[in-house]
Amino acid sequence: MAQAYSHGGRVAVHAHVQECGSENCACLKGGVGPTGSRTAEAGFQWLLVLSGELCPAAGMAGRGKLIAVIGDEDTVTGFLLGGIGELNKNRHPNFLVVEKDTTINEIEDTFRSLGSVPGSVAEANPSQHDPPLWDEIDSWQFLNRDDIGIILINQYIAEMVRHALDAHQHSIPAVLEIPSKEHPYDAAKDSILRRARGMFTAEDLR
Amino acid sequence: MAALDLRAELDSLLLQLLGDLEELEGKRAVLNARVEEGWLSLAKARYAMGTKSVGPLQYASHMEPQVCLQASEAQEGLRKFKVVRSGVHAPEEVGPREAALRRRKGPTKTPELQSSEAPRDPLNWFGILVPHSLRQAQASFWDGLQLAADIASLQNRIDWGRSQLRGLQEKLKQLEPGAA
Repeated sequence: MAQAYSHGGRVAVHAHVQECGSENCACLKGGVGPTGSRTAEAGFQWLLVLSGELCPAAGMAGRGKLIAVIGDEDTVTGFLLGGIGELNKNRHPNFLVVEKDTTINEIEDTFRSLGSVPGSVAEANPSQHDPPLWDEIDSWQFLNRDDIGIILINQYIAEMVRHALDAHQHSIPAVLEIPSKEHPYDAAKDSILRRARGMFTAEDLR
Repeated sequence: MAALDLRAELDSLLLQLLGDLEELEGKRAVLNARVEEGWLSLAKARYAMGTKSVGPLQYASHMEPQVCLQASEAQEGLRKFKVVRSGVHAPEEVGPREAALRRRKGPTKTPELQSSEAPRDPLNWFGILVPHSLRQAQASFWDGLQLAADIASLQNRIDWGRSQLRGLQEKLKQLEPGAA
């Protein structure tokens, strides 16, 4: 539920913390009570609308998370047909078409930040296109984006950045490996199933 | 006694994990089949419309997602994903429901207003009259998205079960150090 108030020329939008869910937004004014629970006042996040531009998190309030895709042309086109694509002047795209000349660094950067997509905002702003430092969290980093729930990636592309996938241990965004036209799905290579296979040792089953 | 309860809990968790793995394998096979159907339909559409008519050149410069993901947390660390579709246009229904004759020049409809509020169908990127194979491709990939959400939920459950299993195994080792 969102309520809008005009306040000194700026519009402040109340959004319930559970609906917005974006805790990395720089515009937020939130507070947590001494017991760790949110108080009635602190439980509302203030999303400031400045100069008519919406805070990216405001657009996501109550809308849910996105599905991102990194794959070959047919895979990306197909899933975009399914309706997952997001691209506007304020946001980075949530997809990457991997072609023959796409480098592994680009794929890896995209897996962490979608700003590596050709023609994206990152290319228009070279300073933002510099590979982020490991301890730097940009609001548009792919894995660190809190508006992405699932990343779909062709398995042959996942093999190129396997180390990055194996390092990803969080439940969200979930990473799903899917086959491609030239490379059928191989369960032996899937990160999730490899972890599951390593669950049991001979000792554990005694 | 506590060790016996732990073992029973371990067994039940293990059975649940194996069941989840089996379900995951089944859903994966269906997802792969849907995606392959989608590729085939895209190839047919490309054959009908031209090689360069179905690809990244047709992507819109402004896209809004028609499909979103609702993530809910059932227990700590256990997430469930659900795909939600927004802005679906209902086609105009003209049929036996109308008792009177339909006026040929009736009141102006406003589908344009509705379309400006709802996200634009990606099919429109490829033209007004698109071949049926492109619609079939869209349906296949849409089914694939539903399955992807189910698979993501299952993967999350398996990871959660794995961590629970490890925790229980540690507790068991502490209770029965000799058994290990």
